[in-house]
Amino acid sequence: MKKLYLVLRSTTMLTILLLLAVSCKDTDSTPDLEVIPINSVTVDGVTVSLFADKEIETGANDLYWKVEENGNSVEIKSFSITPLMEMATMTHSTPYKNPVLFEENENYHHNMAVFIMPSGEMGTWAISFEIETMTGKIITGEVPIEVNSSWKLTSVRDANNDNKVYFITWLSPQKPVSGNNDLMFMVHTRETMMSFPAVSNAELVVYPYMDMGGGQGHSTDFTAPVAMGEGMYEGDINYSMSGVWTTSVQIVMANDTLPEAVFEYSVLAK
Amino acid sequence: MYRFYTTLLVFFAASVALSAQSKTLTLLDQNTHFPIANAHVLDPSGTVITTTDEAGLFRVNPERNSRITIRSMGYLSSTFETAGLDEVVFLIPVVFEMDKELIIEGNAEKNNNIHAYQHHATHQDMDRFLDNIDGVSMIQRGAFAWEPAVRGQSDQRMNLVIDGMAVFKACVDKMDPITSYVEVNNLSKVKVDKSGSNVAENGNGNATVNIITQKAGYEPFEMNLETTFQAPNQYQAYRLHASGSDSRNIHALRFSGSYKSSGNIHAGNSTEIENTQFEKLNLNLYYRYNLASNHSLELNYITDKAYDVGYPALLMDATQALADIGRLQFNFADNQQPFRFTTAVLYANTIRHSMDDYGRDVANRSVMRGMYMPMYGETRTFGAKLNGEAKIIRHDTKWFFDAFTSEAFGDMKMESLDPTIADMLVYNMDEVHTRNISLGLRQQLQLSQKLNLKLDKSVRFKSVQTTSENYASFFEGLYNRELNPRNRVLLSGSGSLLWMINNNWSLSNTLVYSERMGNHMELFGHYVYNYTDGFFYDGNPWLDTERTINIDLNSTWKTDNHSLSVSVFTKRFFNYIDGIVSEDVSNNDFQFKQYANVGGALMMGGELRTINNISSKFRLENRISYLYAQNIELNEPLPLIPPLHGSFLFTYTNRNNLVGFNLDWAASQNRIATVSSIEDKTDGFLVAGINFQRKWLNNNLVTILELNNLTDHYYHQHTSIGNIPQQGFNVMLTLRYSYGQK
Repeated sequence: MKKLYLVLRSTTMLTILLLLAVSCKDTDSTPDLEVIPINSVTVDGVTVSLFADKEIETGANDLYWKVEENGNSVEIKSFSITPLMEMATMTHSTPYKNPVLFEENENYHHNMAVFIMPSGEMGTWAISFEIETMTGKIITGEVPIEVNSSWKLTSVRDANNDNKVYFITWLSPQKPVSGNNDLMFMVHTRETMMSFPAVSNAELVVYPYMDMGGGQGHSTDFTAPVAMGEGMYEGDINYSMSGVWTTSVQIVMANDTLPEAVFEYSVLAK
Repeated sequence: MYRFYTTLLVFFAASVALSAQSKTLTLLDQNTHFPIANAHVLDPSGTVITTTDEAGLFRVNPERNSRITIRSMGYLSSTFETAGLDEVVFLIPVVFEMDKELIIEGNAEKNNNIHAYQHHATHQDMDRFLDNIDGVSMIQRGAFAWEPAVRGQSDQRMNLVIDGMAVFKACVDKMDPITSYVEVNNLSKVKVDKSGSNVAENGNGNATVNIITQKAGYEPFEMNLETTFQAPNQYQAYRLHASGSDSRNIHALRFSGSYKSSGNIHAGNSTEIENTQFEKLNLNLYYRYNLASNHSLELNYITDKAYDVGYPALLMDATQALADIGRLQFNFADNQQPFRFTTAVLYANTIRHSMDDYGRDVANRSVMRGMYMPMYGETRTFGAKLNGEAKIIRHDTKWFFDAFTSEAFGDMKMESLDPTIADMLVYNMDEVHTRNISLGLRQQLQLSQKLNLKLDKSVRFKSVQTTSENYASFFEGLYNRELNPRNRVLLSGSGSLLWMINNNWSLSNTLVYSERMGNHMELFGHYVYNYTDGFFYDGNPWLDTERTINIDLNSTWKTDNHSLSVSVFTKRFFNYIDGIVSEDVSNNDFQFKQYANVGGALMMGGELRTINNISSKFRLENRISYLYAQNIELNEPLPLIPPLHGSFLFTYTNRNNLVGFNLDWAASQNRIATVSSIEDKTDGFLVAGINFQRKWLNNNLVTILELNNLTDHYYHQHTSIGNIPQQGFNVMLTLRYSYGQK
């Protein structure tokens, strides 16, 4: 009987410990990011992997980097990148930021890049990187990527200023649905083939419109975006219905109004 | 032998005991002390126990019926504790119902006397039935499912209920007013409370139309078959109802069904009006079970299916309108408790409405051109009602508890004829919930022999919200506010003072204060097209409470053969809810409005009703209504207000024959809304009709021949949206066979 009691007690204790261990593990674990792998390269035993929340496309993209050695995360001192498009006659970059530690999941570094052209016959994209680890090790390399075409980027030229080109990026909503949506744009210009500074001193005149056929259509309620710094413009848009909408954007600079750019996209019902 | 005598003794003793339990009472007129014959004696559930004989005598068992209500036409209905009754019971003669309700019997033949309100004309459907009530006008979108308006107030500003149940239409374009779900062969009566003074019962002080359906009585089997044909619109209707009870009066059952269809109507000058056809099936089942404890249970189910309903005033037609309405009611046996229940009701209903414009020429219309727009709407409502009586501060008080929850959904798809344009979808309502709970109290105080005061009050909690985050975000974006459930506590009250000047003449004055929260359409409707002004409407969840004060004066004079009733009223609206233009998103093709509190509005008007039985064979009825309604802020008339109008009916009855001649008329309406709506003026009209009725086969077979609009006049009513005309000359023949009816 005593033996049976000991067996039962041991089993119970073991079960409790097991449960505690499982629950502790759950508590400590970092929530996984919902990202898809884009590409990875291994340099000197260090694997640099690139992830994104969707297939990379023209317009704004959130990129996530994971740097591992022997399956363990590498502590990073500095991380810089340069997206480059190799074309037949030239090479150019695009608006981007350098990766920083992603606070929500420290296994990743995160940055944003606006790709201004899709991959294809015109050229190919790759992101070169230079990483310095905490141990002083320098890792450099290049991750080739495929950039798909999307409706979320357009450009206009300023005929009054040497045809200076401005890139307008549709940042939000990424998936427009009927109802109220944050409306965010980014505006960059091109100074050189490698420099695309943000434009924060413009006024954006926007007008959403639904063409319903038969020469009729209507707009919907919206708040015009205002400059928030670093080329960001924020407002909101309230789609009255699902279907295909257009939103025209006109950049107004000091003493200069640029031609109208138009985004055309589908709004989902829910 | 010993057993025989014992049995006989027990039987005799029991007979004596039973005899001792029953009382014989005499019912007399309080003023004249004349006996009142044929008065109904009812138990608390409303079931007739007995009727008084020619000497006013009746018997009642106090143990079985501790409380009785006695009703007789021309007298104030009174409730008595039977234990305390002496040999004589008095009723107070009145010439006006204290509850300020017009009660219109569904069957004209039941009340062929001067006190009966019933318009003595035959009616092929509920729409025409209601249209003949003074103070009630019908907003029309075609030949089917007219929407009633009481003193110019419709939809959200009135209560339209079936047996007291809340039923919400599913069509955002108001194509399915719930009056269409009760057929005239299933109609017992319509209670019209124009001033909304029955606040305790209706919960909000709004004008109320309560459609009371037929119940099965404890009578032998009876059946009624009826068919109607009308030309030239090829209208045909087939109606059946049957009812009966078992020999012990425990079970009672009633069934009614009807099928009707119509082709296009023809207006005056033989003008065919396209898209006025319809087809409709209606079934109703009622069951009542009497428990041994004198409680009783009622079960009622109505299903109504309408198909291919044309709406010429609208952009589309209804392909399907489906209603399922169920009710379970428990009637409590009478008891002496200071706090007691009368009835408890549980109900549920669902309305589904589909419409489209696949049969219309969409390529060439001015609004929503070049696209089809199939629409779907649905409401689901669950409710409970609990009524009873209580002694509060020594006063008998009737109390009414009412609760319901309803969910509404509506959407519209837009399919462009242009193949390069993708389909569009708009939610008119999505996951919109209305929850309501109210408690009402009613007290009647006999201030003197000639003064009676009725006080009603109600406190109500109402909540309207959408549980769809996407849909809610639309309103958050539109008004730049965070949206929470919209909750309100609403108070309403009324006082009605009745002064019996003499046996024939009464004066009454009613004051009603009402608070109204916007309904689910006004708060959460989206992109809803309003056919009266051509605007698309968006709701506003942050509307303030609309408040009204209504003063109503009535004078009624009645003798045995003549009656005259005059009512005048004025109603002042504060925080009046209406649409205001949203210019930032409007253009020539699409114009939008948002609901807002736009200020004040005023309504004034009155009704005159006379009934004269010139002799036992000749009868005259005359009704006149007038309404003045003004938007105070815009200083212009409110829209859809009927002009001065009336009806005149002359009937001659001789044994089994009846001949009726009727005139319906309206003055021109030149007071129109041009800012808040886009109305045009309407000419006056006068149309005449005649009908012949004959009873055959010992009154079991009735034939009715009606000739309407004898001059084939082309006209439309001001409340006809799109100026859709009324029928021109038409002929209608009805055959009705009754079996077992008294």
